Order: sequence, then C-alpha cells, then structure tokens
Amino acid sequence: MGDKGKFELENRNEDPINYASSVSDWGFGGANLTNTSIGLVPKVNPMAVSKGGLIGSSSCSSTSMVDAFGPTIWDHHANSENLGFCDNGVQKNASTSDTFGIRKGDPVALRSIDKTFDMVWNPTSSMLKGDIFLTNSHAMLPQRLTPFPADSAFIERAARFSCFNGGNFSDMFNPFAVPESMGLYSGAGGVMQGTQEAFAGSGLKSVSGGQSQKNEPSVGEVSKDVSLSVEHGAAGGSPPKDERSQSHVRSHEESKQRSGGSGNDSDEAELSGAGDQDEPSVLEGAGREPFARGLDSRKRKRNGQDAKLDPAKGAARQSGDCAKDNTEIQQTGDQNPTSTTNRSSGKHGKQGSQASDPPKEEYIHVRARRGQATNSHSLAERVRREKISERMKFLQDLVPGCSKVTGKAVMLDEIINYVQSLQRQVEFLSMKLATVNPRLDFNVEGLLAKDILPSRVATSSTLGFSPDMPMAYPPLHPSQRGLIQAGLPGMGSSSDLLQRTIHSQLTPMAGGFKEPTQLPNVWDDELHNVIQMSYGTSAPSNTQDEDGSLPSGQMKVEL
Amino acid sequence: MISKGATWNSNSCRIKFARRFVSALLHMRNRNTRPGSLTIEGVRTHTQRIKIAAYLSMAQAVGSRRAWSRAVLSKHGSRARRHSRMGRSSVGLKKTRVIRSYPPGELGQAKKLRQLVPGGKTMDMCSLLEETAHYIKCLATQVKVMQTLADNFSK
Repeated sequence: MGDKGKFELENRNEDPINYASSVSDWGFGGANLTNTSIGLVPKVNPMAVSKGGLIGSSSCSSTSMVDAFGPTIWDHHANSENLGFCDNGVQKNASTSDTFGIRKGDPVALRSIDKTFDMVWNPTSSMLKGDIFLTNSHAMLPQRLTPFPADSAFIERAARFSCFNGGNFSDMFNPFAVPESMGLYSGAGGVMQGTQEAFAGSGLKSVSGGQSQKNEPSVGEVSKDVSLSVEHGAAGGSPPKDERSQSHVRSHEESKQRSGGSGNDSDEAELSGAGDQDEPSVLEGAGREPFARGLDSRKRKRNGQDAKLDPAKGAARQSGDCAKDNTEIQQTGDQNPTSTTNRSSGKHGKQGSQASDPPKEEYIHVRARRGQATNSHSLAERVRREKISERMKFLQDLVPGCSKVTGKAVMLDEIINYVQSLQRQVEFLSMKLATVNPRLDFNVEGLLAKDILPSRVATSSTLGFSPDMPMAYPPLHPSQRGLIQAGLPGMGSSSDLLQRTIHSQLTPMAGGFKEPTQLPNVWDDELHNVIQMSYGTSAPSNTQDEDGSLPSGQMKVEL
Repeated sequence: MISKGATWNSNSCRIKFARRFVSALLHMRNRNTRPGSLTIEGVRTHTQRIKIAAYLSMAQAVGSRRAWSRAVLSKHGSRARRHSRMGRSSVGLKKTRVIRSYPPGELGQAKKLRQLVPGGKTMDMCSLLEETAHYIKCLATQVKVMQTLADNFSK
C-alpha cells in the first residue's frame, strides 16, 4: 500500500493535470496497474486533456489532500473523477470549479502528504483501495490546513514521509524525486515539473501554491499544493493544506511558475495566496517551502475554481499573491540549481496554454532535484531510470508471485523464468495437440498411461526431484502416449516405464512405434535434459499449467 | 473502467488468437498425412509446426502494434518463409544486429531476456521491458487457449 501511495504521489507530482491519468493508472490495485501501466504513457495525455478543463485542477494531488481531511469534502468531486481518465471528471470538475477533478489515484498521493502532517495515513490506505477521491475534497482541504512553520528541514521530512519509501523508489524518493518520476509519466504534463521541485522538502516553494492562478493548468496547482501540503503537513497545520488544495486547483499557472523557482522562502507569502490552487501541486512541488509556509498562515484565495475552498483556506493572502508569485517564483526558480532553465522556461510557456490542455506537450519536462546534477545527461538518465522502474513495477504485477520481490536483478530473474516456463508450456501443449489432433480416439491409451504414472512417481528418486515431480506429473495428460512418458524425468526406471507404456499403447495401434525398444534410449537423454531444464530454474509460478512445464522442458524452446 | 478495458482487450486478443490458431490447426491436419504423424519424428515435426502456428497466430492477432509481434511475423511469416526457401532473404537480413553495451546493473539477465522475447535484440532496456510485459500477457492467453483446446481434443 505504501508503495501504491507513493506511486500515486509520484504521478501527481509530475503533472497535476496528468495526475488524474497517472494516478488513476497507479491508484488502483495491482490489477489496475496492469491495465494502466501499459497504457500509462498514452493515458497521461488524455488525462492532461481532461485536466485542461479543470481549473488548476491538481485533481490528483488535491483530491488526496482533501481526502485526508475528510471524506465529506470529496463529495462533489467524487463523481467528477472517474477511474479511467479524468475526461469526465474534467467536465465535472470544471463545473464544480474544483480543480481537483481527479482521479482516484491522485488522492492517495496527496493524502499521504497530508497525512504526514497531522493526520494518520488512513486516507492513503483508503486511496489504495481504489477509492476515488475526487476533487470534492479539494475544496475542503484548505480548511483543514493548519499553519505550520515552513521549515525547510521539516518540509523535507514531511515530503519524505509522505512519499513512498518502497524499494525502487527509495532512490528516487528524496523529496525531489517524487515529482520527478511523476513527471516522466506525464510526458505531456510538463507542468509537473514545478511540482517536483516543490516536493523537495526544503525547496517547497510557496510560489507554487499561492501563485498559480486558477486558470493555470491543474498541474501547476498540483505541484503547488503538493509543496504546500508537504509544508503544511510538517507543521501540522490544517490551513496550509487548504491553501494547497486551493492553490493547486486553481493555479496551474502558478504552480508552474513555482516549479521554475524552487526553494524560495520569500515566495511563501506570495504562495500562500496561491496556496489554494496548489493542492496537487503541493505534492509535486515539494520544494516549495516558502509556499507552504505562506499557506499556513495565509488564506489562499482561489483565483477561480477554488471558490469553495476559499473559506476553508486559512491563507487568504495567497490568492492575492498568486499573480505576483508567478513572476517571483520564476525568478526564484532560477536560483534553484535543480531546475533546468530550459525546462522550466518550457514549463512556464506552457502554463499559458495550460488552461485548456496541458497534456499537449510532446516532450517530458524533467526537473532536476535539488542537489542533483543538472546536467542534461544526468537528467535524461534519471528519466530513463524512472521509466525503467515504472515498467518493472508493471511487470511485477504481471508475473504472479512477484509482488514481494524488490530489486531489479531478482525481478528480472523471475521474469525470465516466467517467460521460459510459458514458452515451455506452449511447446508442451503444441506437442499435445500434435498427438491429439489427428487422433481423436486417444482416451484409452491416456487412461492406461494415467494409471501407470502415479505408481511410478513414487519410485522416482534417481534425480532427486521426487518431491517436485509428483506435483508435476499428476496434471500431466496421459493422452500423449510415448511422448508424455518421455517427459517424466526423475523416474528411476523411466526407460522401463517408457517401454511398458509405449508397448501398451502401441500395440493396439496399427502403425505404432516402429522401434519401441529404441525409444527409451532416445528418451533417456532427453529426460536428463528435461530434468535440467525443468528444475534448473525455479519452479514455474503458475501452477495451473504445471503439466505443461515439465514435459515441454525436454524440448528446447527455439524461437 | 480501466479494468473493463483491459478485460475487453484480453478477450478480443484471446478470441482472435483462438480463431486463427484453430483454423491453422485444421489446415495443418488436412495437409498432414496419417502415417507420418505416428512416428516420433513425424510427431516432432508436427509439434514444431503447431508451435510455430501458435506463435504466428498470436502475432497476427496482435498485429503490428508491438515490436515483438512484428519480429515474429517477419521471422515466420509466409513472405519470410518464401524468401528463406529461395535462399537469401532480404527480410531476414533487414534487421541489423546491434551490439549494444549492456547498461550497468543489468548483468546478463537483459541478454537472456532479449533472447527470450522475439525481436528483443535490437531494443533498448526500456522498450524491452515494455515488450516483455505485453509478450507475457499474450503468452499467458496463448497457453490458456491451447490448454482448453488440448483438453477438448483429448476428452
């Protein structure tokens, strides 16, 4: 669960707008991941589009944030977000004027952040269950936010705390990492960049929160909110959270700007105003400390959509500051070494167009985390690494029995074994079909072989696979005459058995096997091969197809 | 919604594969001579053909959307077979063998995976993993369909 939450958090960070898409993809249980992960990238775009409709709908992040505060908040937003892509949600969100429009996945991420601050992780767990936290909570969130000192260290801790600490994410998990990974997915959601920075604990820019104007794409807001939430969370103040949600919702633009300028405490005051909008951005823009701080004390004004959140938010001033925050943030953003100037500028440019369709971006904006090398090579490396880990996660869900495995090497081994076992099964089944297909009167021989098989299994100990063999043999279909017998490794007198079965089965057949005596010899070598092949690797995880794995082992997979 | 989409996706994939595979099997059975299938070699050959037919059917069901399906189709497709029979096939040589330095940390597993997944030799790690995921999904459905077929035939 924690991992899931982190994932969502990550997704959100990338792009508040794409949050819905990314989050929805990741937010659901493992099953969902399977579906979504493959289409994660393309999905991101639709999500972004949907977000466009949302005003600063950092939906994903905001929803989670709001969620943390109370299920009631999510009421109106819930319907807007659909599990799939936020397209529906977008419209709804727009209507509700809540930028959250998001999807289920998002809330988790946001929630985790909020939780850290003063709440338990309940929302996170609930989120993982696939609840849809939709934008509704967004509005409510601001109310809960309590002002807390936007201590950079605290923010960092909060960010870390809220983010996932799981396996592969550990390295990317530093406060800055989360937004980054998310950014990769959103691709189109260049806006996310800002959010990533916001996450950088210390760098939480208040800017992201307060500055984003409502019209800004949700991405910006999300990032802001993220940052805000992180900061607020640390302080344990509810008001900041409100601000965050508001800001992120509304100020997509601001969030974007914030992302550009990370870590400006001075921006806090400004951000606080924009805080509302950035609920989702807070998560992403963990680095926006100043923003979070500002949020706490100030009420965020929602530029647009967050009208509902206004009363809730404690930081009213943020909204007012949003406008100027953008500029300031941008300036401050430059100071941050983490953000690549070209990227941030790209982001800002996007902000203007964010209002409608953030996902339109073709390339992925990646924001360097604080303290990381800003070399374009290393950034690309990071993007690539995160992509790979994302795919590994997806594979983890596909391969049965790999949920607990962490680490690329072990995971790859499992994947390789699984693919090999599947191919062996295909081979075995094709062999089965080859023998069964032309002969439809096979059942008699099959029964004979079946009777012989179980008795023989007990004696198989020569190869030391007896404990494993019996398991594999019973499911074997005895319909294949000599072939199946040949595939029984570990039988002490396999050759005798083969001869017997072959003779018993061949005699009724007119053609039969011309040289039954030679068969066992032929099979002996193959048996050894089978044994090595079947048991050289770990036993196949899919037990239902056990019957196919062993016998097919004798044949090499030639593809 | 997502799960629904995924189910529909796998179902359609499964149905397409089943249809193609069964028709290929029938076609092969009609072509196959009775006595030939009784010998071990005959059975082996038949098995190989069925196996290739299975992979081909799956690749055709998937279409050209995936790199691995494209690789399978180019390797076993009718055109490729015709070309190989004629001698040198340009289709087979079209794919240039890329000698890539395996990224650190991947060890020999990536190499093994590339050998397993069709067409994986020329893919970078990122797309390799993606193709592997889709390939695993299709392989699983393939196995399921073949299993039910075999069960029905043997009953």
